[in-house]
Amino acid sequence: MTAPAVDPITAEVVSRHLLSIAEEMGATLIRTSFSPNIKERADCSTALFDSRGRVIAQAQRVPVHLGSMIGAVDAIRSRFPLEDIQPGDMFVANDPYSGGGSHLPDINVIAPVFRNGEIVAYVANIAHHADVGGMVAGSEAAVCRSIFQEGLRIPPVRIMRGNKVLKDVLDIILLNSRTPDERVGDLNAQFASNHTGIRGVEALFARYGDTTDAAIDAYLEFTRRRFETAIRGVAPGTYHAEDFLDGEAEGERARIALKVTIGDGRMILDFEGSAPQLTWARNIPNQALIATVYTVAKSLLDPDVPANAGYFDAIEILAPKGSVVQPQAPAPVGCRSISCGVLGDAIAAALSQAMPEKAIAGSGPHHLAVFAGPDPRSGEYFVNYETIAGGMGARAYRDGMDAVRVHASGAANLPIEALEHAYPLRLERYALRDGSGGYGQFRGGTGVVRDYRALADGITVSLSSERQHVPALGLAGGGDGERGRFVLDPGTDEERVLKSAEADIALARNHVLSIRTPGSGAYGTLQKRDPDLLERDVREGRIPESLARPRAASAAE
Amino acid sequence: MGNAWIGIDTGGTFTDLTLANVASGSYWFHKTPTTPDDASRGILQGMRELLEIAEIDPGEIGFVCHGTTLATNAILEGKWARTGMITTAGFRDVIELARQRRPNFFNLDVPKPTPPASRDLREEVTERVAHDGSVIVPLDEEAVREAAARLKARGCTAVAICFLHSYANQAHEARAAEIVREVWPDVYLCTSSGVLAEFREYERFATTSVNASLLPVIDTYLERFERGVNDLGVEREPLIMQSNGGAVSPAAVRAMPVNTFFSGPAGGVIGAAGLGTEAGFPNVVTLDMGGTSTDVALIRDGIPGKKGARDMAGFPVRTRTLDLHTIGAGGGSLAWIDPGGLLKVGPKSAGAMPGPASYGRGGELPTVTDANMVLGRLNQSALLDGRMQVFPEKGLKAIETRLCGPLGLDAVRAAAGVVEIINVNMMGAVRVISVEQGEDPRRFALMPFGGAGPLHACDIARIIGIPHIFVPQRPGILSALGLLHADTRGDFSLTRLATAEASSLAVLQDGIAQLGEKAKAWLRTERLPAQDAVYEWAADMRYVGQNFELAAALPSDRLDEATIDGLVEQFHTAHEQAYGYRMGDRPVEIVNIRLGVGVVRPVPPPDQAKAARGTLDEALIEVRPVWYPDTDFTDTPIYRRTSLPLETSFEGPAVVEQMDATTVIPPDARVLIDRFGNLMIHISIEANPEGQS
Repeated sequence: MTAPAVDPITAEVVSRHLLSIAEEMGATLIRTSFSPNIKERADCSTALFDSRGRVIAQAQRVPVHLGSMIGAVDAIRSRFPLEDIQPGDMFVANDPYSGGGSHLPDINVIAPVFRNGEIVAYVANIAHHADVGGMVAGSEAAVCRSIFQEGLRIPPVRIMRGNKVLKDVLDIILLNSRTPDERVGDLNAQFASNHTGIRGVEALFARYGDTTDAAIDAYLEFTRRRFETAIRGVAPGTYHAEDFLDGEAEGERARIALKVTIGDGRMILDFEGSAPQLTWARNIPNQALIATVYTVAKSLLDPDVPANAGYFDAIEILAPKGSVVQPQAPAPVGCRSISCGVLGDAIAAALSQAMPEKAIAGSGPHHLAVFAGPDPRSGEYFVNYETIAGGMGARAYRDGMDAVRVHASGAANLPIEALEHAYPLRLERYALRDGSGGYGQFRGGTGVVRDYRALADGITVSLSSERQHVPALGLAGGGDGERGRFVLDPGTDEERVLKSAEADIALARNHVLSIRTPGSGAYGTLQKRDPDLLERDVREGRIPESLARPRAASAAE
Repeated sequence: MGNAWIGIDTGGTFTDLTLANVASGSYWFHKTPTTPDDASRGILQGMRELLEIAEIDPGEIGFVCHGTTLATNAILEGKWARTGMITTAGFRDVIELARQRRPNFFNLDVPKPTPPASRDLREEVTERVAHDGSVIVPLDEEAVREAAARLKARGCTAVAICFLHSYANQAHEARAAEIVREVWPDVYLCTSSGVLAEFREYERFATTSVNASLLPVIDTYLERFERGVNDLGVEREPLIMQSNGGAVSPAAVRAMPVNTFFSGPAGGVIGAAGLGTEAGFPNVVTLDMGGTSTDVALIRDGIPGKKGARDMAGFPVRTRTLDLHTIGAGGGSLAWIDPGGLLKVGPKSAGAMPGPASYGRGGELPTVTDANMVLGRLNQSALLDGRMQVFPEKGLKAIETRLCGPLGLDAVRAAAGVVEIINVNMMGAVRVISVEQGEDPRRFALMPFGGAGPLHACDIARIIGIPHIFVPQRPGILSALGLLHADTRGDFSLTRLATAEASSLAVLQDGIAQLGEKAKAWLRTERLPAQDAVYEWAADMRYVGQNFELAAALPSDRLDEATIDGLVEQFHTAHEQAYGYRMGDRPVEIVNIRLGVGVVRPVPPPDQAKAARGTLDEALIEVRPVWYPDTDFTDTPIYRRTSLPLETSFEGPAVVEQMDATTVIPPDARVLIDRFGNLMIHISIEANPEGQS
């Protein structure tokens, strides 16, 4: 391809058009979608790919979607001969093992864009569907032992031909969901989003003609140079880190091993030595692995770098097949977002060695609780799926963030007032979990306490977590984060600590379940903490006076 | 009512004032430096000067409307009162937990906003109300008394009372407020059910505590402002513009300062709607481009879009506001080279100080303004009608040293690149707000205002494919002018989660009655006769199990089975229109009841040009080379806006200069000056796939 030289201005202008198209696709998807996951929590992303399947622009609203449509576009390109792909086609896929998905509820919809009879680009979007079948409502639970229990697997298949929906395929998807009406609404929104994208890309090529491709190439090249510059700012070398997922039995753990090699403007992450895949649904499939690596690298090296193949290409990922970070079918993967919190820590730990001034301590990932049972008020069966945040690790220069979703994860909480209206549950406490963040010069972010009282008979709970066995580590002498914990009836004679993963255990009427999520690690020793901050911590009840006082005493000497 | 109307818009650098004699149709305009330590000082000085210029007696003033940034600045700068909070036991951290999301997914150094009430000033008291409003645990009144005493002792001046489910039953909050006032009579206080009686506790508590923290601040300010206006000899009580585009009394703002966060930009949008309708352009996209940021809004059939929430300094403030998109780019935006070698514009800005390099105030970094100067689009000797000397060679030097070297391009190409990039950023903002509202922007006219809007509007319109550009007579002070177009408007809401069926009639009717009482009290505060008020009732509805709402209009405040059925049908239809399908057999629930109360004020007459206008040739200042994307540097006539004849037309290229703005008209454009002095520019749009869709 003889590309005309493109200057940095044209490349920037074309890139703004590309981003604008991706944003418009996102606005269309959110405006026309049905389910709250997409509408209110914006659990969706949109992207543009060039004719070779490289991401050129992405409007991601959840970091775990970063780069996550790459696999789907690749899968279509390898599955369908080029001449078989026509204008007016769209494709659908969600399978982590054959369709480039990261877990089954995330459905990709992809469309080619043509100019003069040739594919010049692809537009794609991903949306988290509230239910795609499987053994539990919501289609994700740690207890699933096989992906077949998690829901409908969709390989890359055509869902539209000649701009007409292929009803046969659609009907299979709908029959497999507990909420088929919503699925139609959300899929229609995904189609509308791609139509917006197709029109935008066609207009862009009409405006810039043959320069367009060259400008896109140039834009990726400028992005690659930008990220390489960021990598070159990091001390070259090889850095080792490891962290652990909780194992399958209490007290067990599963290693995530990582060797990061930095040099020559590139980064290689090698996960050799990581534990074999788990039988519970906490495995991290390839797309989730990629998204977490891209997210942590971007956060630590250059938060504003545009999300495209230019920077992805500067990163190489090696992961042994059959390990927790590269599971093989039919390993279950539904709860990968909790495990990705620990994976993010392993990556951050390695990079923190390479750039100590930007270092970040270990983080507390969220916990997942699914309450289900009959609601006596309506006579109907309810399912309440909630994620409860942990805390973000302290950095070398600031306290960690309290009560947030960490690394690649980002979904919001459920308001108490919405919860109590919808389900026979009452919250007795929703608070920062004092003392759960490690103490140090910079405090670890605290986790959360959320206490639920059951108001009806027959309620069961399923629980999933990480960092109940293995704490988030502090850095440079900072304290570790407190581990998470599920406690039944705290402060009563019947108090009982539950296991780190539970399936369908009973929560009898009037009994209380307390979910206490893990806090994160601190940075530096407590002795080095600014006395003013320490004084504020005590005043605000964030640190016991007994811990702060010896420090004050020794400072006076 | 007096015939002299005054609009006052306080900006970061200047305060703009407009005075209209609505009997004669004469207008006067004035600009005075903003006095940040006490904005009322600059305003009152400006009012005195303006009255002198217009030779109008203060007693003739029949209407004063003020757009204020006071609450906005206080929240952005954290200059709020020491604020305490009294809340349900077990939940003092709700305000800090927020929605458990990081504000920026990738930049880990952007923290969640710091709540106005720090943790040691958040007192928990025993009480609990359930979702249906029933009391589970009675209010511990003694605990409230003790909490109030502690907060007072610790130096708080404001208190927010925030209990769970208070939207369903406000008794506990109301009683707690009574107790606090008993023991602490001069406290500034608000309750969450009083500020925002809607469910979702974090958003309600955040809105309420932010409101509480501003109560003393706004009170002090309005006190000075009102007294000053009164001392000038003005008999009418001045009104304050709210974010919803309606003006209200100082008393209403004293209770709800959060309603003024977008007071300034709202004036511009209301003005644009007024002028557009007057000139036959009821469908308009506004482009209010200032030095550091740009606001974009969509006006349909003369009515600006609204929404129920907008973030302010990271807080989800739930009040009715005009639907404005703000992007961090304007005339003062800095141009820079990113580490990969791409040319970028914004979001950092040179601000008022040092400002663009060519202003000669010590700025050395290139800005959009400098690029416009290098390209001959801005006057190269002076701005502000010759009042402010400029130094284009300094702008050129900034572009050469900071951009040309790294880019390997000459100064003109680099400057053109800066302009091209900011224009494409603006295109993105206009397109996204249109798509979000389900509209095609090409159906709308583009109305640029603010200091920099008319400079870029034609190029932006061309990129989007908009053929009509409408440049109002005084683009730089449209916000002040728009204040004269303000009606009085209050928005009220109340959550009543209930299935939309006959069995819910009592609950809903009770909610409607409560809102009606609120509105009546508000009308009394505004001293407006109830018979002049137009009530718009609406219900936010959803399918049971959904988590977002669509609004459906209620015909009146009387509900019966038939109106409920009608409401449900209306919801199904709205849902079908918005999302393409309906679920006829699924139960529907009502979430919020809304009431908008409007009292329409007379529309001010169009600005009749005072001076006799000459010919086009007489308006010509000079001919200078000006750069355009398609024709490069082209000799261009430069006209003085105030000397242009009315009801004439001419062809581009042309540049129209006036005190407050510069309009660039490209070579292939046609310009029509209407009888009000507005410029209607028509540009030809090439057919492309966007144009055919």
